[in-house]
Amino acid sequence: MATPAIAAHAPPRLSLRALRVVLGVAGVVVAIGVWWLLSRLLAHGGGVINRLPPPLAVFYELVHYARGDLWRDLVFSLRVFAIGWGVGVVLATVTGLVLGRSQLLGDIFLPIVEAIRPVSSIVWVPLSIVWFGFGLTSKVFLVGLAVYLVVIVYAIDGSRRVPPDLERTATMLGMNEWQRFVSLVLPGTLTEVLIGSRVALMAGWGTVIVAELVAADSGLGAHLIGVEQSYDVPAVMAAMICFGLAGFVMNAAFSFVERRLTPWRHDHATETS
Amino acid sequence: MTSTQAISRRVLLPAIGVAMVLAIWEATVVFYKLPAIVLPSPFAVVATLVDLVQTSAFWRDVGVSLYEFVVGYAIGVALGVAVGMLVGERPMFRMAATPVIESLRFIVPFAWIPLTILWFGTSYAGKIALVAYAVFFVMVVSTARAIAQVEPTLSRVGTMLGMGPWRLAWKVHLRAAAPMLASAARAAAAIGWIAVVAAEYIGASAGLGLMITNAATSLTTSVVIAGMIVIGVVGAGVSALIGAASRAWLDYR
Repeated sequence: MATPAIAAHAPPRLSLRALRVVLGVAGVVVAIGVWWLLSRLLAHGGGVINRLPPPLAVFYELVHYARGDLWRDLVFSLRVFAIGWGVGVVLATVTGLVLGRSQLLGDIFLPIVEAIRPVSSIVWVPLSIVWFGFGLTSKVFLVGLAVYLVVIVYAIDGSRRVPPDLERTATMLGMNEWQRFVSLVLPGTLTEVLIGSRVALMAGWGTVIVAELVAADSGLGAHLIGVEQSYDVPAVMAAMICFGLAGFVMNAAFSFVERRLTPWRHDHATETS
Repeated sequence: MTSTQAISRRVLLPAIGVAMVLAIWEATVVFYKLPAIVLPSPFAVVATLVDLVQTSAFWRDVGVSLYEFVVGYAIGVALGVAVGMLVGERPMFRMAATPVIESLRFIVPFAWIPLTILWFGTSYAGKIALVAYAVFFVMVVSTARAIAQVEPTLSRVGTMLGMGPWRLAWKVHLRAAAPMLASAARAAAAIGWIAVVAAEYIGASAGLGLMITNAATSLTTSVVIAGMIVIGVVGAGVSALIGAASRAWLDYR
């Protein structure tokens, strides 16, 4: 077989698309097969992992959950997520614009933001519970913080990166400060914020999970802890799949919206989340 | 003149910012007469930190968390780079593995925490597995992408020099991809460290995550905040260490 670089240039013998689908399906089938085999092998007490249900059991559990409380739990989790995400994005945009455009304020406060940023919002979970209790507020605070810490970087970056050409054109056209802000700075910032908001999706969703696992009173995370405490492994795995599916759907939906709103952008740097 | 300006921008103004935040924090505590349960003063937090550092229990928690992180991280990076290279080098393998990797990637590590507790109890093994899982996916995706972006000319030169595909992958592609792998390794460290802390919230017998959840339940808020600072500092230290190590390694090569 040739090296990938050369193979990429050679005309494909079999339709590449068909090959991809066939191999992809084969990969999934093999993965599920290995899972099933492992569950058979470990069914009668095989070392540490003696609680691996077969794939079908998890699937039944998923169907059962989908017919029951899934939607109520999902709505709880999504509400926490949506409120926190919205608050985080708005606050990050405003502070990003202020800190990005004002040299003095940026110099004073950016190092503090930079010092807090690497500390994930997950670390704030216990403090948030002390402050806000187990209810909606503490989770919204955590998700908002997670989203804020991601988006603020994009907002600052966008507010500072006005193309010099446009800056000169604006001067030539005799635009005043406000006009410049509205037609140069704001659109650039909002474009970056849009990208940041998508990158923040997974950070925010992960925070929802941890917050609900720790302060387990409602939502998918509370359900997950509930079935964990009753040693119901198939239900635990079904709940995990629900988390994954919800994250996937949100990510796909947001990518779609983002591509519609900013068709001129290439999607290279935004995939890592 | 410019150097004094630079000093004022780099040192003085950030110092003013920190001082302002601390002053507002202290003023809020004094003005609203907040009890220490809600928000201890910055001085109380520093005092708690000083006390903590002198206890052996604290160092045990730090050690446990770091141990879980280091072992899980090493496993995750090794497996992640290996599988990522397979995905990057072998188009057939990539097509077969991509749907599985992508769908597992969406189950974020935190969602695995309850399952790791059922499987491994509150032992270290559960956290190690969790960190390895979290790090693995970061490394697989970045390695595959880095390999795919290697300059095709390099591969052709290697082939011309008579290298087989495995030698080419090992001697040429991996080295060309090294800078991207180094930055991925840093990102993975941050994620892995948080995974340890989160896992310790929910089921652990020791560790920094357990320390601050216990402090939160007993409403000793100063310990919670001190613990958060320690977690942040250790995380930053680990990240800096990995950054320095990978830079030294890249320079050496």
